[in-house]
Amino acid sequence: MRDFTWKTVLFLAFFMMMTISARAAAPGNERCMNCHGHMDIKGPAGMKIYIDPVKFAATTHAIVGCTSCHDRVSKGHPGDRYNPPRAACGDCHKPVFDEYAKSLHASKAGCTGCHNPHEVRLPLFVSGDDINRKCARCHDTRKTIQSHSTWLPQADLHIDSLPCITCHTGSRDYVIIMSIESRLPGSRNDFKISSYDELAALAQAADVSRVIDLNNDKLISLAELRDFNHQLRGRNMRLWGMMVPETVTHSYQILDNRWDCSFCHASGPKAAQKSFIAFPEKNGGYTRLVVEKGAILDILYGTPDFYMLGTTRSTPLNIIGALIVAAGLSFPVCHGFFRFLTRKNRKENNHEA
Amino acid sequence: MKHKEMVYLTPMPVRIWHWLNAFGIVTLCITGLQIRFPDYISVFGAYKAAIRLHNTAGAVVSVSYMLWLMYYLVVAKSLMKLYMPTLDDLKTGIFRQAFFYFLTYFLGKPNPHHSTPDSKFNPMQKATYLVIMFILLPLVIFTGVLLMYIAPLRELLLLLGGIKMLIGTHFLLSCCFTAFLFVHIYLATLGHTPLAHFKPMWNGWEEEEIDDGSEKTR
Ligand code: HEC
Ligand code: HEC
Ligand code: HEC
Ligand code: HEC
Ligand code: HEC
Ligand code: HEC
Ligand code: HEM
Repeated sequence: MRDFTWKTVLFLAFFMMMTISARAAAPGNERCMNCHGHMDIKGPAGMKIYIDPVKFAATTHAIVGCTSCHDRVSKGHPGDRYNPPRAACGDCHKPVFDEYAKSLHASKAGCTGCHNPHEVRLPLFVSGDDINRKCARCHDTRKTIQSHSTWLPQADLHIDSLPCITCHTGSRDYVIIMSIESRLPGSRNDFKISSYDELAALAQAADVSRVIDLNNDKLISLAELRDFNHQLRGRNMRLWGMMVPETVTHSYQILDNRWDCSFCHASGPKAAQKSFIAFPEKNGGYTRLVVEKGAILDILYGTPDFYMLGTTRSTPLNIIGALIVAAGLSFPVCHGFFRFLTRKNRKENNHEA
Repeated sequence: MKHKEMVYLTPMPVRIWHWLNAFGIVTLCITGLQIRFPDYISVFGAYKAAIRLHNTAGAVVSVSYMLWLMYYLVVAKSLMKLYMPTLDDLKTGIFRQAFFYFLTYFLGKPNPHHSTPDSKFNPMQKATYLVIMFILLPLVIFTGVLLMYIAPLRELLLLLGGIKMLIGTHFLLSCCFTAFLFVHIYLATLGHTPLAHFKPMWNGWEEEEIDDGSEKTR
């Protein structure tokens, strides 16, 4: 089963990350975190020197270690007013750095404009929403919607369902990532991704994937998905899908073919076969579980709120529609046939055909 | 002795509505086809062009539907009389008419129904037009409007069962309209001449064949 291999690879990768970072975190980190890992630490006005220990532990940078990037932390730190240096991202991420340097965004923002080096994550462990939140720090979402709606129909919907990088970088290998979202209290239209705690309460288990994956086989079957969607209705929740690239590049640009809607909308039903559900983790990241193939194309309750015009149409529905049209067409054809055969009768009784 | 008479059947607003509507629905069907099957059909070039045209045609059909409703309700006040089948229509009229279309028509018998301004439609027409104009068309307009403003109307969308429910309904309704169109246009050619029913939809006057000599011509 191909899905099974997928799932295994995904999980091995995830567990490796978790265990490596837990075990192999650089030894010096703890010394720094004794101070920097406490919420009440105070730095110079306006500088946030608190580092979230849980989020940091989940990054590969924890293995790299504080002192690899901030070498020469003085003995007298922090009393001596000597500011430890910071490594440049390009020192270790040469390929990404070079790619980004050539893009049109290089002059607009540095790496740390989008990445907090102490909270970095692989694309696999972030939600599409997280990616857009990066951009939203500088690009006001409402203004972006406004500027895009001059040429993009339903720009608000598009920006809710697509990370900006799908259109503004050469990122590729699109998949559908679904997140469980809760309605913001007091709001009608606004949803946010349900937190780990909310889902843990719902699942009554530490493993939040149990809210959907009832049999705990780490694979979301169509039946489980349908069940879950039925339950959601009464709970002020929804399952929201986004089309997210698996391979992220930093080649920021304005891609001409994204003007042409058919880049996404005429890609045919094959394009939307691979989908995942992203469950929040305690550390702020996400775990993805594979969803049974074809869920996106399910006629109704697979993904009741995810539909891509032209791409995720359902074949059974097409057949029903075709039958209706055929029934309509068969009337003139049959009636016309007998009308032609019996034309003499009307000539005799009437004076016109 | 048979002779011909002219009856003023279809007032101007109804004719304007009808052709706006017909043109709109046909446009909607074709653009809709491209929107659903862009990998096979590309009549209007760019996908975006098809969407824009579809939305515009949708607006035209909605506005002209209002015109139709207002005219019949407020100006002519004949909506119920013309479109609501009577009990007799339901009990016997429909069957008589169906019997005509499916049998006696072929034998050359005359149509049991005669159009007058007060009773324009035969019982089958009444029933069909009633369903089309009071159920299907409002439903397709309603789902269409929701699908045009998905993000702002999300609340309502979720309440109704999600995007897929609406898309599915909208699509099946559009198939019903396509089916209706074939039957509708064909049946309209069954007058005493193939074009007899089209003329009143164009200039308002229908040429009726009357058996006796009572003078009704205006
Ligand atoms: C005793 C507590 C303590 C420890 C241990 C500590 N720091 Fe700090 N650190 C501080 C405080 C307090 C400041 C704010 C200093 C200031 O006000 O300028 C600071 C500031 C910093 C800054 C920002 C300096 C600037 O203003 O640009 C860096 C970078 C830093 N620490 C790195 C480290 C690293 C790496 C370690 C571990 C090797 C570490 N610190 C260990 C308390 C600590
Ligand atoms: C991968 C390299 C890297 C590692 C590992 C790293 N840092 Fe940093 N750190 C940076 C960079 C780059 C900045 C500057 C961020 C900026 O300009 O926004 C920074 C900034 C800081 C600051 C100042 C706050 C600020 O926003 O400028 C503190 C304090 C700090 N780091 C502490 C630590 C501690 C403590 C650790 C280990 C627990 C650590 N760093 C690990 C790269 C790193
Ligand atoms: C001392 C070397 C070093 C520096 C400096 C460094 N990184 Fe990394 N970074 C790594 C290593 C090693 C990895 C893990 C392997 C990889 O993904 O390339 C990594 C991984 C990442 C990841 C993927 C997330 C993860 O957990 O694997 C991101 C995003 C990232 N780095 C961003 C940055 C940014 C932004 C900067 C500059 C603020 C930076 N890095 C500076 C060494 C470094
Ligand atoms: C305009 C925003 C932006 C800027 C600037 C940016 N990145 Fe990223 N980067 C992203 C996004 C979005 C992702 C994908 C989500 C994630 O992993 O957080 C990403 C992912 C990454 C990854 C992980 C990629 C992978 O597939 O493993 C690395 C490494 C990385 N960035 C390094 C850098 C470095 C180095 C720089 C500076 C040269 C930089 N980024 C500048 C937005 C940015
Ligand atoms: C640190 C701030 C910052 C962040 C974060 C940021 N940008 Fe920008 N970006 C800018 C600035 C400044 C400009 C130039 C002014 C403008 O066009 O708004 C810009 C311009 C752009 C442009 C237009 C370039 C042009 O030449 O017209 C695109 C596209 C863009 N950003 C995409 C993104 C995307 C996608 C993200 C998130 C992954 C992102 N940006 C995150 C600061 C940022
Ligand atoms: C459907 C593809 C698509 C998505 C999604 C998208 N963009 Fe764009 N964006 C474009 C295209 C195409 C242009 C060029 C339009 C133009 O020049 O008028 C553009 C232009 C821009 C510009 C420069 C012109 C302007 O309008 O200011 C910025 C900045 C920008 N996008 C930011 C973003 C951000 C931030 C996001 C995510 C919130 C985003 N875009 C999402 C396709 C997209
Ligand atoms: C190209 C498409 C169309 C053609 C050629 C056409 C033709 C005609 C003709 C000839 C008539 C008069 C005969 C009759 O009363 O049955 C008529 C009437 C009517 N048609 Fe159509 N039609 C078309 C599309 C439509 C559509 C799409 C609808 C509705 C969705 C529709 C609804 C009606 C109604 C309700 C009447 C009666 C109007 C009245 O007098 O109040 N037609 N049509």
